Amino acid sequence: MADAAGATVYALFAVGDLPQSRIDQLASEISAAGADRILCSSADALAGPALDATHGPLLASVAERLRPVLFLFPAGGAGTQLGPPLAVRIGAAFLDNASVAIVRHEAAPDPPVERVVLTRWRAARDGQRRVDVGDFERPVVASLPCGLATETLGAAYAEVEMVPCPEPGPRGPRLLTAERDAAATAETCSALLWSTVPLDASARARLPNPLPAGAAVADGAAAALLAAASPVEVFVWSSAPEDTAPPWLLAPGTLLAHVRRETEVPA
Amino acid sequence: MIVLLCLESPRPGRASHAALALAGSLAGNAQVVALSAGGPRDSASLGLARACPALARVIHLDDATLDQADFMTMGMVLAEAARHLGAGLVMAGERSDDEGQGLVPAALAHHLHAHLLARVRAVRLAEADDTVEVILQAGGQLCTVASPSPLVVTVPAQPGAPAVPAGSAAHDVETLTLAGIGLDASRLVPRPDLLGALVPAPGEPRREMTLAEAAAALARHR
Repeated sequence: MADAAGATVYALFAVGDLPQSRIDQLASEISAAGADRILCSSADALAGPALDATHGPLLASVAERLRPVLFLFPAGGAGTQLGPPLAVRIGAAFLDNASVAIVRHEAAPDPPVERVVLTRWRAARDGQRRVDVGDFERPVVASLPCGLATETLGAAYAEVEMVPCPEPGPRGPRLLTAERDAAATAETCSALLWSTVPLDASARARLPNPLPAGAAVADGAAAALLAAASPVEVFVWSSAPEDTAPPWLLAPGTLLAHVRRETEVPA
Repeated sequence: MIVLLCLESPRPGRASHAALALAGSLAGNAQVVALSAGGPRDSASLGLARACPALARVIHLDDATLDQADFMTMGMVLAEAARHLGAGLVMAGERSDDEGQGLVPAALAHHLHAHLLARVRAVRLAEADDTVEVILQAGGQLCTVASPSPLVVTVPAQPGAPAVPAGSAAHDVETLTLAGIGLDASRLVPRPDLLGALVPAPGEPRREMTLAEAAAALARHR
């Protein structure tokens, strides 16, 4: 999309104190995924979870330096933690779980131009909000749904520019403990089978075993606790009328399908 | 410590219900105050708060200009109210059920010069000092974080969470005005809402499939 719109993509790593070889490896992967330039900030303060108190000042300093028109967060909750405070700091719009599209704009006699357009659902699902990045006159901060790259987009060119991490204040939050979040897999999958009732054994037996890396099942109590996910395909397994869609925001264009029970008669 | 719970007006969203349930659990160690800015005095938000026995006070910040306030202005007003009330911890739902941007708590934290922690699941107040311990989701982990006050936390909607306990308590609603918290309503300048253009919801036909078809679709996501 950046190529079509004539834009430059900067990738920013905010990582703990990693060896240079590991940073180069990450840079190589992200460069192959399409980043034009790679920035990295490596500091002990960035080793923990991505919180505004630890990562926000770095994002703001990079935004101040580069003045990007579009600031994107990946799926998985980082956008919810970091997106709103960044948007407030830099006076930007914020679109959570947004879809991004290139729209060809014809304005004869001028040559057509490619516009970057972001769309999100209102939480009430009664309409969508659309932002044309080129027309908006303000920067835009957005988080994306979880998809899988299907091809290599760039060369594995791993030159990294290191950027300093602003010193955290003396009275910031301190991480006491951290353990794996059982919801993490479902929150970073691109396809999700979701059910508020536990799947029975026969249903489970008909699913891929093991599930591929991009797929997840959230059922029963796990489904109820899942407050943020952004798969591009959602399969709802339920007979309850109120469970026609999961309660969190889905990105526009997400495939939402109801899975029929064998006992249900197709309409 | 004073815990301030901000409820959007006129209707509390699902995340506000979760925030109220969490704030109510702190009543043993703190004075929990609910505040709803704008809207009518008999709003559903204030009605919900009035019926919650865990709350110590229910406050209506009453000014018609708040009904049209953008997120930045609302955040600034709430921050001033938090200062006025001496709140050490401010709690709010992560996003409304209407627009759902989730920007008001961020604007509140910005104007209060407080840290913002989102995706919060549990809160504990230290007895000895002004430290707040929260359990939150971040980076694929459940993290326990200790933060000095003032602190702003947001709570996501929790479909499976128990309903807010409603009792026979029917608190009186106190009224605060903008002037009462040191703000001049005539100087609240509307700012761009930064929402983007509203476009109609596209028609989305209900898709149905068998479990075998769903399983095949899941298998493609390698």
